[in-house]
Amino acid sequence: MNDINQATINAFQLLLSGNAGIWEIISLSFTVSLSAILIASPFALVIAFFLAFFQFPGRRILISVFNTFMSVPAVIIGLALYLLLSRSGPFGDLQLLFTSKAMIIGQILLSFPLLVAMAHASFQAADRRAWETAITLGAKPYRAFFTLAHEVRFGLIAAVVAGFGRVIAEIGCSMMVGGNILHATRNIPTAIALETSKGEFSHGIALGIVLLVLALGLNAGVSMVQGKGGLHS
Amino acid sequence: MSNLISYQDMSISLSGRLILNIDQLAIPFRQCTLLTGRNGSGKTTLLKIMSGLLKPDSARIDYQGLNLSWRQAKPYIQKDTIYLHQQPYLFDSTVFNNIAYGLYRNGENKTSVHRKVNQALEWANLSHLAHQPANSLSGGEKQRVALTRARILSPSLLLLDEPTASMDSESKQQTSLLLQRLNAEGLTIIISSHESHTVSHLIDRHLHLENGRMKEINNASQNNKVTPFKTTKNTLTNE
Repeated sequence: MNDINQATINAFQLLLSGNAGIWEIISLSFTVSLSAILIASPFALVIAFFLAFFQFPGRRILISVFNTFMSVPAVIIGLALYLLLSRSGPFGDLQLLFTSKAMIIGQILLSFPLLVAMAHASFQAADRRAWETAITLGAKPYRAFFTLAHEVRFGLIAAVVAGFGRVIAEIGCSMMVGGNILHATRNIPTAIALETSKGEFSHGIALGIVLLVLALGLNAGVSMVQGKGGLHS
Repeated sequence: MSNLISYQDMSISLSGRLILNIDQLAIPFRQCTLLTGRNGSGKTTLLKIMSGLLKPDSARIDYQGLNLSWRQAKPYIQKDTIYLHQQPYLFDSTVFNNIAYGLYRNGENKTSVHRKVNQALEWANLSHLAHQPANSLSGGEKQRVALTRARILSPSLLLLDEPTASMDSESKQQTSLLLQRLNAEGLTIIISSHESHTVSHLIDRHLHLENGRMKEINNASQNNKVTPFKTTKNTLTNE
């Protein structure tokens, strides 16, 4: 018990003292995951909107595919991406394996089905009159889309937050395609796994605290957003 | 009298059921038309087609003298027509922003939008609600905001789906007064309503939908539901 207490105290000291190694890992984690979410979200939201508002052949199949891929383990995505990006794979020439770009691609693939499925549920629940009203008041379809997205913003924000939560904490894909290389591809989950296996619990706890604070911060942020309104013209 | 728009051979089927099959429908300028029909008779479908929100299976359209296909006519229709739902949808924002919505979509600058919205709020006696969240309003107030939001865009044709349904008598009276003023300003209006007595004083013409077919009903055949048309109508001007 004393060891755990001491490790926790050391963890806080590491964070508060601005330990360069720890903060570099945190920074890389956020850069990779935020990039993945920022790239994936616009495409996912547009696809979700089309799935919710328009009828076309294969629509139901697409919805089922996205729902199924939501539960695919990160390590399976990592394995598939590894095979594609490895030197003998079809995209080997791009030399992306064991780079942060490969981690971003992996996290895009991981978050995309979740983003589509959750955003689809939000658009599906949206009042169709919002779309029709925007159109009848002269909005072009793309503008009506933004108006509708504003009307269901809480659901969409929840989708993006859930997507971010999925990728910031995943380890399987990052380990497979990133390789956990110090100063290059080591992020919070891979670092926690490594430090814990080495018996460096204070490093693991420090990084775990960051993930916990992040989860709390995201929830608080969503609650704050929900308290605000305003239609931006 | 010249027509704002007329439709020939308009038909639409939904889920395999023929909803509308109208040989001829002409909407004269500046008239207020009452559209009646039983539930499921296709009133809302017709209004949505006329507002460009729903594509008919077939239709030939004469728009202010131009013979157009549906695809050709749609941009004109959407530009000149505003459709109000039975329960108007107000965006999750203030009354002011709701009324300003269409003006911003037309590319107007902020100064012009503020001036026009403030004038419109005064016109509808809604200035006191300008900064209220739209979703906190009563049904009658929402309808008045929606009418003001439509008027500010100066459409040629206003389509109202049961505008006074489930309103108290005071709200019905206020909505009816606004409609009267809009019609007096020269706006062509089509009102779908079960409660024809509420808007009877506005009505120039009565169309009835039955089994997807349209028929015009004249005063004499009315069972006193909509008569006398416009006998009490006062031409109100802007205040």
